[in-house]
Amino acid sequence: MSGGAGFRLFALAVFTALVAGVGACSDRLDSRGSCPLLCPQEGVPLRDTLIDVVSDTTVLGFPPFGYENYMLLTSRGDTLETRVIVRYDTLFTTYHTSAGDSEVTTLDSAFLRLGLLIDTLRRNPAPVTIEAYDVDTLEGFDTSATVLASLFRKDRFLASRSFAPESLLDSVFIRLPTDSVLGHMLAHTRMRIGLKVVSTKSASVLIESHDAGTGPRLISYASKDTTVPPVANNVFSLTPATPLFLANALGDYVVTVKGGSPPASSLISVGGLPGRRAIINLNIPSYIVDSSSIVRATLLLHQKPNRTIDPKDTVPLSPGAFLINSVVTDPETILGFLSPPGAFGLLEHGLVPSDSGVQGIEIGPLVRTWGLSKPDVNRRSVALRSSEEAEKPGQLDFFSTRAAPALRPKLRITYVPRTNFGVP
Amino acid sequence: MRRTVFVFSLFAGAAGAQGNLSTQGYGFPTGQFSARAAGTGGAVAEIDPWSPLNPSTIGVFSSKVLFFQIEPEYRTVQNGAAKDRTTTSRYPVLFGAAPVGSRWVVSIGASTLLDRTASTVVQSTKLVGTDSVQATTTFTVDGAMNDVRLATAFTPASWIRLGVGAHAITGRSFVSVGDVYGDTTAFSNFTVRRTLSYGGAAASAGVQLISRNFVAAASARTGGTLTVSESDTLLSSGRVPTRFGLSVAYTGIANSAIAFRTSREGWSSLNKLGPGVSASDAWDTSVGADVAGLKLIGQDVAVRAGARTRTLPFAAAGKTVTENSFSGGLGTMFAGGRLITDVGLTRASRDAGLAANERAWILSLGIGVRP
Repeated sequence: MSGGAGFRLFALAVFTALVAGVGACSDRLDSRGSCPLLCPQEGVPLRDTLIDVVSDTTVLGFPPFGYENYMLLTSRGDTLETRVIVRYDTLFTTYHTSAGDSEVTTLDSAFLRLGLLIDTLRRNPAPVTIEAYDVDTLEGFDTSATVLASLFRKDRFLASRSFAPESLLDSVFIRLPTDSVLGHMLAHTRMRIGLKVVSTKSASVLIESHDAGTGPRLISYASKDTTVPPVANNVFSLTPATPLFLANALGDYVVTVKGGSPPASSLISVGGLPGRRAIINLNIPSYIVDSSSIVRATLLLHQKPNRTIDPKDTVPLSPGAFLINSVVTDPETILGFLSPPGAFGLLEHGLVPSDSGVQGIEIGPLVRTWGLSKPDVNRRSVALRSSEEAEKPGQLDFFSTRAAPALRPKLRITYVPRTNFGVP
Repeated sequence: MRRTVFVFSLFAGAAGAQGNLSTQGYGFPTGQFSARAAGTGGAVAEIDPWSPLNPSTIGVFSSKVLFFQIEPEYRTVQNGAAKDRTTTSRYPVLFGAAPVGSRWVVSIGASTLLDRTASTVVQSTKLVGTDSVQATTTFTVDGAMNDVRLATAFTPASWIRLGVGAHAITGRSFVSVGDVYGDTTAFSNFTVRRTLSYGGAAASAGVQLISRNFVAAASARTGGTLTVSESDTLLSSGRVPTRFGLSVAYTGIANSAIAFRTSREGWSSLNKLGPGVSASDAWDTSVGADVAGLKLIGQDVAVRAGARTRTLPFAAAGKTVTENSFSGGLGTMFAGGRLITDVGLTRASRDAGLAANERAWILSLGIGVRP
């Protein structure tokens, strides 16, 4: 190869590499240092609009009967009184030993084990006593608060145990009379136990339900031999027979025997006991929902102080999306199909029942999804509930669409309208 | 009931500027120069067949040719102590030509008329209702207004070439603007995008006169309607800028040219394309030389140099932007003249009498192929 040809090849290779290298370069464009002198109009305008809430509805009774994760057993004098009912509609009657299975004929001891959720910052102010009663009664009346309350009487008393406030930890055991438990085992009859808390002052205990874990367990020792495991029964309900799915829920549940009230017609209520949820119906113009970028959507609620129960305890208010289309209209039903707290990026807001004034609930992440589907699929409504529903008795009240105009709920929405951006 | 209660944000308004002196308005005019012409500061552009300006110049092609050009710009914008370095990749010229018979040549190609590629990030405090929030706004625009030309040249005699061209102005700009907020619990970040499409038509004509020692060439383009639209919605309309250019070159040295060029482009016809467009007609003048005769180990190499001054079409902060540049370049051929390679390097300085100024290196790499 001559020197000239070699140079030509070299030059061509250099040029090719230069073209390839330069062609592969990517843009690096950010030139913020010259702003705002050379870019005084960057950005797009945000528009802020107030929209009245169309309507609202508050429904009482959430979570549905028997679906509490933690059951509030409380005694607040005249303001609130609840009972916890646990059902053992079938009882195991055999126990296991190294020699094999044996039928229970005697019992050494029997206990009711309750898992607790303890708030160490809010202990009971005085010792509490948990009393257990036999609350078995006729089917059809076995969920009636009035009937059940009447069964907490002396002749049905089973057992009790007192606890110092600091001794209430993650679980407690209440010794039950062995003859009563053994009698149900031998007779193959159901055992239904009602729990009541008694104290010289207001008292509350949160008991884990079988929806959150194992629930209250009936533990019986058929032998004094400590190597023999106990007979352990979990809550189990056979009634109601129809609908059958309710039977499982009613393995354990709470009844309110005193306190609680229907929502006032001029209020939106959240929390409380029995728990309340609210539906807020909105009608946002399609040019905002469909054609704009929503930066912020804040539900503005005028709070009315509620000083009935735990007025200064923070209640976590959680906005939620409906997971059910508009074919279903029954408020109680649709409030049963909500996104879990925190889903859709909807954050909780800790509010105090005794507060007043305007509270802003951010629902922007939910409102943005409304542009993705039609209202009959994704209803233009937001649900309000407490994420600690039925666990805290505090109730948040807000003025509704039936209140005076200045107090009615509104939606403040900040959005980016379609603009002529990009055209110099 | 629905009522708008409050609208305010700092720096709010229609996004338009791009944070550089050179890419204001609808963008930066690359000049539609080939790498060869760029090396001479554009002085030979009216007589250069690789530059899609004067349609008569393609009459020089005696065989089929394809041409492609890469032209990155490395730009520095200084505003007081703040300095931004940016890189913009461009592909400003692409065309092919083929002779038809002994006197006619036809060509089709595309070149960048206005390159609008930029991005800025602005941090500000936005007031929404009674709340304020820290926001980082990013504005990005990427795209160009292109000139697609179908041209033909006729050579009735050895001393004259004539040419005409039909132009379609096309292209798109992808624009996006978005906010990232400091408080994401209440405010949701957003990005909005839109695509602006350009459409228009123009016609051009050119002539080239050749004597023993001089070449003179002139061309003109007259514009039809130019529109800016989004999807099927017409946003605005104006006129394609008219252009007139003239080059005179001394060619008394074999295969060399010492040239002068001036041109005027009627950019003000774009003023109707947007409420914030402030375009002015602009002169573009240059002198340069393309000198052959240098041999490197038997390889003929052309050496080029030039100087250029022009005003850019779009004002920055209300002030006209002037660009002065110096260029140099090399050109050679491989494979028996079937592969033509040109390299040009331009150092441009842009100033508008503002606190900010701009410097740029523009590298032009041209590849011509005779298949």
